[in-house]
Amino acid sequence: MPRLFITAEDIRRSSGELVVEQGTVVTPQALEAAAAAGVSLVHAGGEPYSEPSPDRGPDAAQAVHHLPHLPEPPADLAGATGVVVTAVGKNRPGVLAEITGALAAAGADVRDISQRTVEDYFHLVLTIALGNAAEFEGFKQQMECLGGEHDYVVRVMHERVFRFMHRI
Amino acid sequence: MAPFTDQEILETVRMVELETLDIRTTTLGINLLDCADPDLESSAEKVYAKVVHHARNLVETADSIAADYGVPIVNKRIAVTPIALVAGASGSEDLVPYARAMDAAAKEVGVDFIGGFSAYVHKGFTRADDALFHSIAPALAETEHVCASVSLATSRAGINMDAVARFSDVVLDTAARTKDTGGLGCAKLVCFANPVEDNPFVAGAHIGTGEGETVLNVGVSGPGVVRSALARLGGEVDLLAVAETIKRTAFKVTRMGELVGREAARRLGTTFGIVDVSLAPTPAVGDSVADILELIGVDRSGAPGSTAAVAMLTDAVKKGGAMASSSVGGLSGAFIPVSEDQGMIDAVAEGALSLAKLEAMTTVCSVGLDMVAVPGDTPAATITGIVADEMAIGMVNHKTTAVRIIPVPGKGPGETVEWGGLLGTAIVQDPGKFSCQVLHKRGGRIPAPIHSYRN
Repeated sequence: MPRLFITAEDIRRSSGELVVEQGTVVTPQALEAAAAAGVSLVHAGGEPYSEPSPDRGPDAAQAVHHLPHLPEPPADLAGATGVVVTAVGKNRPGVLAEITGALAAAGADVRDISQRTVEDYFHLVLTIALGNAAEFEGFKQQMECLGGEHDYVVRVMHERVFRFMHRI
Repeated sequence: MAPFTDQEILETVRMVELETLDIRTTTLGINLLDCADPDLESSAEKVYAKVVHHARNLVETADSIAADYGVPIVNKRIAVTPIALVAGASGSEDLVPYARAMDAAAKEVGVDFIGGFSAYVHKGFTRADDALFHSIAPALAETEHVCASVSLATSRAGINMDAVARFSDVVLDTAARTKDTGGLGCAKLVCFANPVEDNPFVAGAHIGTGEGETVLNVGVSGPGVVRSALARLGGEVDLLAVAETIKRTAFKVTRMGELVGREAARRLGTTFGIVDVSLAPTPAVGDSVADILELIGVDRSGAPGSTAAVAMLTDAVKKGGAMASSSVGGLSGAFIPVSEDQGMIDAVAEGALSLAKLEAMTTVCSVGLDMVAVPGDTPAATITGIVADEMAIGMVNHKTTAVRIIPVPGKGPGETVEWGGLLGTAIVQDPGKFSCQVLHKRGGRIPAPIHSYRN
């Protein structure tokens, strides 16, 4: 097992070159001390020290398998990301076209749609599938820019939120 | 697909948008036992390096999850191994350098608080525990993000009354050293009976010796959600229906926490520990446990019936949480921190909530006397008495209890002190003119109750 830390005290006791094992963390104070004392910190291969990724302990590797299985995505999504889009606001001609137009431009597949109007106001709920999970953030930003303060508000949420909250 | 009804979808959106549902904290627990070193400076250096090394991406990860799932994550925190355990090897009598290292690490990674300047002294003191007690007041006065907690009693060991008396001195010393901010240092200091090792909430957050190398714990909140659900229910239905409504709401809130916790642990590559499902109020309007008690049916928090209402609320929250997740832990229940809850502040102002009634309510809430302001000239013996009473409640009932008490320098009963932010406003409460000098001076230990001998 490699030593866990190299501290400024360790640097003071060494000179020239100090070989840092893989997994050892050099403290910031030790880095400063090494720079001041002209001690070079290198890995066994000769390349300069770089901070290792954190070792989260023996449990971490198993952690993913230990999560008990709560409601998981339905089979028909086949790799797509389920997203729920809700819009609430004042009704006017062209609202639905604006929202669905933006969805079409983003290449989103509408799986379910429901809309109600109460007097001058509407609420719209769309369940959609997004082909590529990586697009989610951009898609969310794009959709939430629609509407405005006295017009309507769009909310984009991951379908998992609803699955966790409403399914046993 | 369409697996959800409109009603379900709109309910979730409403909870987030209008009812202040949030994830109160994602707390990364980091074991520091391997930072022990005979040299104090080197040990503190390791503490800083390890905390920063593990928590570097915590804030960024939490923010990305908040954006992805559309649920705010209010605080990002770190909990570490009780420092007294790490400091033993150094033999130092001044442990403030550890607090400085923790504070600097918290600043570096951008978290709100770091908990774990702690010691377990429910049976006795090691040299390091003794040093930690000496260091708490200067550490809290000097640092900004460090929280301290001590374990003074357990159902197994009884109450260490020597430690309780010393804790009172530490509280008064901390208040005196932070008098410019109304004794605010004491808001970062708490004592426990039966502390939990996976508590993600400050000031008591620390990571016990039974925990792994690193673990991610989540605290969910949602008094606003429960309050709105009860408001919709109205005043006509019976208490079974009220309990059922709280339970169902707690289920949904807990599931949200479980989702965020799993995802945060996955993204950080660590273990998901627990969801602490606690109704933790904030001074924001509507985010109040006192309001819930009033909706259950008492005129003001602290009125007769309040203890029964808190009992039902705490139990229903735990039941809903237990159904939602197999990993419910921490304190889980309802918090009644006085200064952090606008409804509680109002109840004190109107004379509805006395210190005595508050203590009664803590017998059935999930923590204890929390954020209680008393006069700055309160004698140590009185604080000892207040703490010992609360520890006794925890010890006898096999329950976690805590005291976070703030003697506000220069203020007397009825005066107001403004701490701002999440800590809110407090009205100084009157602990009464009678004290317990003899009990305070006796010291020793209150033995564990007979029903703790279960082996």
